[in-house]
Amino acid sequence: MATPSASVPDVESVRAILRQVIDPEVGVNIVDLGLVYRIDVSAGQVLIEMTMTSPACPMGDMIMDDINAAVEAALPEDIPVVVQLVWEPPWNPGMMNEAAREHFGWQRDR
Amino acid sequence: MNLRTLARFPLLALAMLSLLAGVLGGLARLAVDVPAPASAQAGVHGALMIAAFFGTVISLERAVALGRFWPYLAPALAGLGGLTLLGGLPTIAAQWLFVGGGLTLLAGSVVVLQRQIVLFTVVLALGAASWLIGNLVWLATGLVQAAIPWWLGFLVLTIAGERLELTRFLPARPAAAPLFVASVVILLAGALASHWTEGAGLRVFACGLLALSAWLLRYDIARHNARQRGLTRFIAICLLAGYVWLAIGALLGIVGNFVPDAAMRDAALHAIVLGFVFSMVFGHAPIIFPAVAKVRIPYHPVFYLPLIVLHASLALRVLGNGSDDFVWRQQGALANAFALLLFIVTMVTSVVRGRRQHPGSRTGPRGDTR
Repeated sequence: MATPSASVPDVESVRAILRQVIDPEVGVNIVDLGLVYRIDVSAGQVLIEMTMTSPACPMGDMIMDDINAAVEAALPEDIPVVVQLVWEPPWNPGMMNEAAREHFGWQRDR
Repeated sequence: MNLRTLARFPLLALAMLSLLAGVLGGLARLAVDVPAPASAQAGVHGALMIAAFFGTVISLERAVALGRFWPYLAPALAGLGGLTLLGGLPTIAAQWLFVGGGLTLLAGSVVVLQRQIVLFTVVLALGAASWLIGNLVWLATGLVQAAIPWWLGFLVLTIAGERLELTRFLPARPAAAPLFVASVVILLAGALASHWTEGAGLRVFACGLLALSAWLLRYDIARHNARQRGLTRFIAICLLAGYVWLAIGALLGIVGNFVPDAAMRDAALHAIVLGFVFSMVFGHAPIIFPAVAKVRIPYHPVFYLPLIVLHASLALRVLGNGSDDFVWRQQGALANAFALLLFIVTMVTSVVRGRRQHPGSRTGPRGDTR
C-alpha cells in the first residue's frame, strides 16, 4: 500500500501550477500578485491559503475553483487539495513579486 | 451546488425581469410602441433600472463576496421591489422593499469594513448608503427625480470604489487619494444640496462626477490594461469608453441638464447610466457572472460587437437629443435596447461555448480563455 505522502509534490511545483491561475481583471497570475499566502504539503495533502485584494470582490469562490481544477489536473487523483480563503493579513502591494511589480511599472530596488 | 448558489438563480431572474420591464418602460417614454403592461412602467423606469435591477445585481455580487446567507436578503428585497412595481401593487410597498434592500446592503458593507477599513471599503459603504438614502428620499417625497442624484451616486461610488482598489497594483501616486476624496465630497455635497436648492445642488453634483471621471481617466489601471490582450484589454476598453461618457454626462449636468424638464436631461442621465455604467457591466459580466452563476464565459473578440453598438447608438441618441431630432433620439434609444439584447445573447452563447469546451464542469484554469 502506497503512503499518500510519497506522491505529494513539493511546494515549488504546486506554486508553478498556481501560476496558471490568472486574475482576469489585470491579466497577471495569482502567485506573482502575492495572493497565495501559504502552500503546505506536509500532511499528505496540498493545503493552499490565499487571499483576495478586496473583501468586497465576489470572485473568491471562482478563483478557488480554478485553483482546485488546475491542481487536480496536474496532480495524481488521490492527493487531497484544500484551498482556504484568508483575510489576515490584508493584501498590500508589497506582496507582489518583482515580475508583477515590473509588469505594473514599479521602479526596481524599492 | 449548495443552497446559497441555488438561491442566486431566482435572484438573477428577478433582476432580468426588472431590466426587461425597465427598458421597455423607458422606450415607452420615447413613444415606442411596447406592450401595455410594459408601457405602464414608463413612470418608474428609473426605479426599475437602478433601485430594482442594479440594486439586485450589485447587492447579489456583495452577498457572493461575503459568503454568508443573510446578505442575500438585499438582492431578494430589491428584486421583490421590482416585482411589486411590475405587479401594479401600491408603489409604497416597492419603496419599503427597496429601503430594506438598501439597509441590508449597507449592513453587508459594514461587514466588509470590519474586514478592512481603508479608503476603498469606505467608498463602497458610501455607495450602499447612497442607495439607501435615494430609496428613503423616494419613499418620503414620492418623486423619482429627487432620488436620482443618490441613485447615480450609488452606481458611480460603487464602481469608483472598486476601481480605486485596483489602483493599488500601480506605483503609488501621492495626489491620487486626496483628489479622489475631494471628488467624492463634492459629489455627495451636491446630492445633499439638491434637496434645498435643486439647480445649484445638481450642478455641484455634476462637478463631482466630472472630477471623478477625470480621476478615473488619469489614475485608473484601465489605461495600463488596455495595452494587454484578450479579456483584460476588453475590460479596460469598456471602462475607458465609460469614463469618457461619464465626463460627457457630467458636463451636460454642469450646464443644467440634470433638472427635470431640462432639454438634454435624457442625454445627461443616459450618458452616465448607459455609457458609463452599462459599459462597465459589459466588461465585467464575463468575470462576475461566472463568479455568481458558476458557469464559464470564455473570452471571444465578438464581445466587442455589443460594446460598439452600445456606444454608437448612445452617440446617436445624445446627438438626437442635442439637435432636437426626436427620431434620432428615439432610434438611438431603440438601438440602445438592441445593444443590451445583443450583449445578453453574446453572454448566453458564450456560456454554451464554455460548456462545450469543458463539458460537465465550469472549472479549469482561466489561462486558456485569453
